[in-house]
Amino acid sequence: MSIYLVAAYVVFWGLTFLLVISIWARQRRLEQQIAALQSRLEENEA
Amino acid sequence: MGFVRKVWAIVAKDVAAELHTREMISAMLVFSVLALFIFSFALDLRGAMARAAAPGVLWATVAFAGTLGLSRSLAREQQTGCIDGLLLAPLDRSAIFFGKAIGNLIFMAVVEIVLLPLFSALFDTPLLQSGVLIVVALGTVGYAAVGTLLAAIAVNTRAREVMLPVLLLPLAIPALIAAVQATGGLVDGATWAEVGGWVRLLVVYDMVIVAVSMLTFGYVVEE
Amino acid sequence: MRKPGQDRLGIVLVGLSGVAVCVALGMVFFYAPREAAMGEVQRIFYFHVASAWVGFFAFFITFLAGIGYLARGERRWDILALSSVEIGLTFITMTVITGALWAKPAWGTYWTWEPRLTISAVQLLIYVAYGMLRAAIDSPERKARFAAVYGIVAFVTVPLSWFAIRWWRTIHPDILTSGGGMATTPKMTQTLMVSLAAFTLLYVTLLRQRIRLERAADALARLRLRADRIGK
Repeated sequence: MSIYLVAAYVVFWGLTFLLVISIWARQRRLEQQIAALQSRLEENEA
Repeated sequence: MGFVRKVWAIVAKDVAAELHTREMISAMLVFSVLALFIFSFALDLRGAMARAAAPGVLWATVAFAGTLGLSRSLAREQQTGCIDGLLLAPLDRSAIFFGKAIGNLIFMAVVEIVLLPLFSALFDTPLLQSGVLIVVALGTVGYAAVGTLLAAIAVNTRAREVMLPVLLLPLAIPALIAAVQATGGLVDGATWAEVGGWVRLLVVYDMVIVAVSMLTFGYVVEE
Repeated sequence: MRKPGQDRLGIVLVGLSGVAVCVALGMVFFYAPREAAMGEVQRIFYFHVASAWVGFFAFFITFLAGIGYLARGERRWDILALSSVEIGLTFITMTVITGALWAKPAWGTYWTWEPRLTISAVQLLIYVAYGMLRAAIDSPERKARFAAVYGIVAFVTVPLSWFAIRWWRTIHPDILTSGGGMATTPKMTQTLMVSLAAFTLLYVTLLRQRIRLERAADALARLRLRADRIGK
């Protein structure tokens, strides 16, 4: 199996996963921050 | 004030301002000559190689010198705050665009008028023929148009002038390729018909880019 | 804002994309024939062209989003534009890298000014310029407006660049790449079509996720504003 073929598919999968994980990680962090802020605001209004 | 009058007023103001100091044109000229030297040394341009490289070096120099002039022209506008005073009606935005673009075109043309004979001599290439002059005019028109639009954007960013080459050069690629190919062909003795395809591409590029630049310029200067 | 567990459409899209990409992958390796001239390495071709397509299509969406933003002035158009750019940038990077990995065994050099590779590199440069432009502006309104303008003008030059580069290469063929053709069979065309469809589906899935991410960021910003007002 050609090394170039392997490398190319590593690139496809690698970049796709990097993008997916990047979006997922940022989404999680945002959701945590939103939840934290929301609960603090609710506390404050109570 | 009619549309043409407004455009003319803007052009006249810019040209007058530049005539007063001549700092922008002299910077562009000095830069161009320096670029010429750098290219010659870096690529070791002599004899046949010089002649072959001449169209490319010419257009690369024009492109880079052009970014100097475009940045300067729009930065000056920002400093003096003239544009704000001119923004009274939607029609004024197109007038401002044409006024600034024609002004920039004139500045680039002045530099080219000096460069072409200089290049002809140094590279021993017949650049001073009507076909080449037409190609230079066509290429400069498109470049000045999109350059004016992008300079107006660049000047309003944190990076300011540095942003312009980054924004402009990828968009100038079709014109650059066509201009270099057409110039090269003509200089090698091709007939007008033979480089016709490239000239047509340049014309299409100019029409499209002037139209799009004019239509979107208003959105850049509105505040 | 809905919790992730309730994002049915998202889950469906992810599932479909996953299946589609696996089907395409299967076809690439088991259905498509071994190409006569290049051998196994030629199998890079399918995903390479598919990612090139997505790179271009994503840019087209950004172009449309730019027009939408200038026409309507609504934040959602800007969100679409920047999301599409991020996805498109990833895919065009894929295209350029895999193109180089294809070029080396095919023509002996990692880079050649072959039309598709060149236009992909040009689009990559434009994407990067777009990103730099956005990064260099602080005001969100101006950022959206300027990015929209640049997206529109830049996209318009891409077809022109394509023609220019093609003609340039026709007149001055690269001795290396001219003559290097591919013997295409119907099975290869089918594999390519399936790859294109799979990648398009993947693009839509990723685009949607990125849009949701940006909306979440906006929601957080709004919450912060509320918190500031209360003085917390």
